[in-house]
Amino acid sequence: MYGKEKDLLHSFVNGKISRRGLLKRLAVLGISAPTAGVLANAVATNALAQNGFDWKKHSGTTVKLLLNKHPYADAMIANLENFKALTGMDVQYDVFPEDVYFDKVTAALSSGSSEYDAFMTGAYMTWTYGPAGWVEDLNAWIGDTSKTNPDYNWEDMLEGVRSSCAWNGQPGGALGSEDAKQWCIPWGYEQNNLSYNSEVFSKAGLSVPRNIDELLETAAAAQQAMDGGYGIGVRGSRSWATIHPGFLSGYASYGEKDLNVSADGKLSAAMNTDVSKEYHGKWVKMIQDSGAPDWATHTWYQVGTDLGAGKSAMIYDADILGYFMNGGDNAQAGKLAYAPFSANPESPVPTPNIWIWSLAMSSFSNQKDAAWYFMQWASGYEHALFGATKMDFVNPVRKSVWADEMFRDRLNNSYPGYVEMHDVSAPGAKIHFTAQPLFFDLTTEWAASLQKMVAKEVPVDEGLDQLAQSVDRQLKEAGLG
Amino acid sequence: MSPVERVLRGLAITLVILFFMFPILWILLMSFQTNETILRVPPSMVFEPTLINYRSLITGKLQTAAGSLEIQFMRNLWNSLLLSTSSVAVGLLLGVPAAYAFARLKFRGSEDIAFTLLSFRFAPPLLVLLPLTIYFQQIGLANTYIGLIWVYQLIVLPLILWIVRGYFEDIPADVEYAYRIAGHSWFATFRKIALPLAKPGIAAAGLLAFIFAWNNFIFALVLASADKQPVTVGALAFVTASGIQYGQIAAGIVLSIAPTFALAIYAQRYLVEGLSLGAVKG
Repeated sequence: MYGKEKDLLHSFVNGKISRRGLLKRLAVLGISAPTAGVLANAVATNALAQNGFDWKKHSGTTVKLLLNKHPYADAMIANLENFKALTGMDVQYDVFPEDVYFDKVTAALSSGSSEYDAFMTGAYMTWTYGPAGWVEDLNAWIGDTSKTNPDYNWEDMLEGVRSSCAWNGQPGGALGSEDAKQWCIPWGYEQNNLSYNSEVFSKAGLSVPRNIDELLETAAAAQQAMDGGYGIGVRGSRSWATIHPGFLSGYASYGEKDLNVSADGKLSAAMNTDVSKEYHGKWVKMIQDSGAPDWATHTWYQVGTDLGAGKSAMIYDADILGYFMNGGDNAQAGKLAYAPFSANPESPVPTPNIWIWSLAMSSFSNQKDAAWYFMQWASGYEHALFGATKMDFVNPVRKSVWADEMFRDRLNNSYPGYVEMHDVSAPGAKIHFTAQPLFFDLTTEWAASLQKMVAKEVPVDEGLDQLAQSVDRQLKEAGLG
Repeated sequence: MSPVERVLRGLAITLVILFFMFPILWILLMSFQTNETILRVPPSMVFEPTLINYRSLITGKLQTAAGSLEIQFMRNLWNSLLLSTSSVAVGLLLGVPAAYAFARLKFRGSEDIAFTLLSFRFAPPLLVLLPLTIYFQQIGLANTYIGLIWVYQLIVLPLILWIVRGYFEDIPADVEYAYRIAGHSWFATFRKIALPLAKPGIAAAGLLAFIFAWNNFIFALVLASADKQPVTVGALAFVTASGIQYGQIAAGIVLSIAPTFALAIYAQRYLVEGLSLGAVKG
């Protein structure tokens, strides 16, 4: 490397110039932006090696990962050589498509397989894996200064996201409580907000809705303005995944809960209150009036594809779904915009429920310390910044990455409103469900009830009373109610 | 047949063919389109054909909204071919003599053993696979092709055994006795008389077993790493968080049905003859 470049990189490592300053000056020296980015990342990784922490402690060890086919995994794989150089470790990985990914994880863990040391998971899944003894409580590593590098900065992770990955294992126990076990480390996450087609909105003279009533009106107006499309995309399949995105985010804005937890720790259904019934009624009407004709089959894929193809005017779903649809060969690429959303007109601060792609450590791993080395690197600042600025590792979970100007500029240039949406929503973003072992069964039944309400098989009030009765019965049978 | 009757019959046949072939034709057409053309509103039959989907599959580079992804489709296709062919070969090697024994030799417990083999098909695969994972890890067969081919016998062996057994039973035993009386051994009788006569049945059973093995999904998913997954698992890689790659899925379907399709056309005569003869007892 030439002297000038070397000096610049040293200045960056020593904090004398910013990342943006470094890249600008490297550009002046004739180094292209992608090369400069990779170079800066390699230097940042090297800087990690200088913080006194023994990164080479597990040199020669190989860890094996189980990964979901996802842009987050792709970003990690693209940066993996830096980890290998930093630690002298080798990393093998198995990547499986998302449709079968959790079957593979469950099979591997339930059979006590020691093949995988760490794996990607959702925080909800750890409510099963943790109490079953399949994953480790990572507090033991995070708090151990001999195993965690001094620059790891655990506190840099967004509070709501970090605590959403921690649970004490008690049904109804608050996430992130004092006695909570850290079943997984947040890696990347999704808030649920509005992604809309700005061209459709502009042509129809629509403004971004700010509450559930405006959402109904805007969706209906957008549908009228579109030729053959529909107003709003939300998920509708008979699955827990129908409840957790927009639906629960809006529901939580009213302060409503899925379950009540009594003083003695007993759980009971909380979804048949008057406020809940009113919200459900509006949600159902919105789908009946302006939702997809085949809403009951819609999953993540259909909601996203229809927005990208111009069949829907907006979605109330994961922000990164809207992010993905604004690129590639989607017909509407470049036309999408983003906005925070709170359903409750009296509480304008959004309360998005979140999905967190996280990293967990298998309890059956034979080399847990080495696996932790990989996990702390993969969830560290340097990799998060690389993924966020050079790949599609969006949304990052670290506050420092969200504060990075280059990252914010990148989003502001191509994803209008995305940064503001995130900033406004992040304080209220967390998992709004009650952690308990029947989570998947009860939410799937909730989705089935919604389907019946939308199909007018049962009135909303009656449907919710029936659902609450069924939930209470199941909780009692499981010894939780 | 009157001309009107002929026209009506032709029309009816055309309608039936259209009805059954339309999904396949639509998939074939989709495989020559980009995602953007496929998802256009309203859909159209007119488009500029492209080979990009096939190129992506063959080169292993998939372009998505989130950039370029690596895919292992051709490797998956090869795995399917290897696993299905080897499993059927092993299944035929073990199943045909066993079927002959069950058909010709009446020994104590023969029905029980035959039924036990059939009962492998009753159990939900996951119930069998989780304990198997533990055993396979202990004996070093986890994540190996040999281990998978062994487990695939749960699918192919009962199928081959029961179809071919029925077929052997249909062959008059007197033909074999006559050959034995002429001084030939039991094995020679099996090889020279029973096997040639049962050939259509064996071909039919082999083909069906191949199709069942090819379509299997769960065995390799649970027991093996990503590099040993068949096409049934690999095809799901086109359903990504950043969107569904319909064009590549269609091209993947075309490529993955090609081997079974070719085999079925080649063995069609045996299949029909074998199945019909094996099904009716004389």
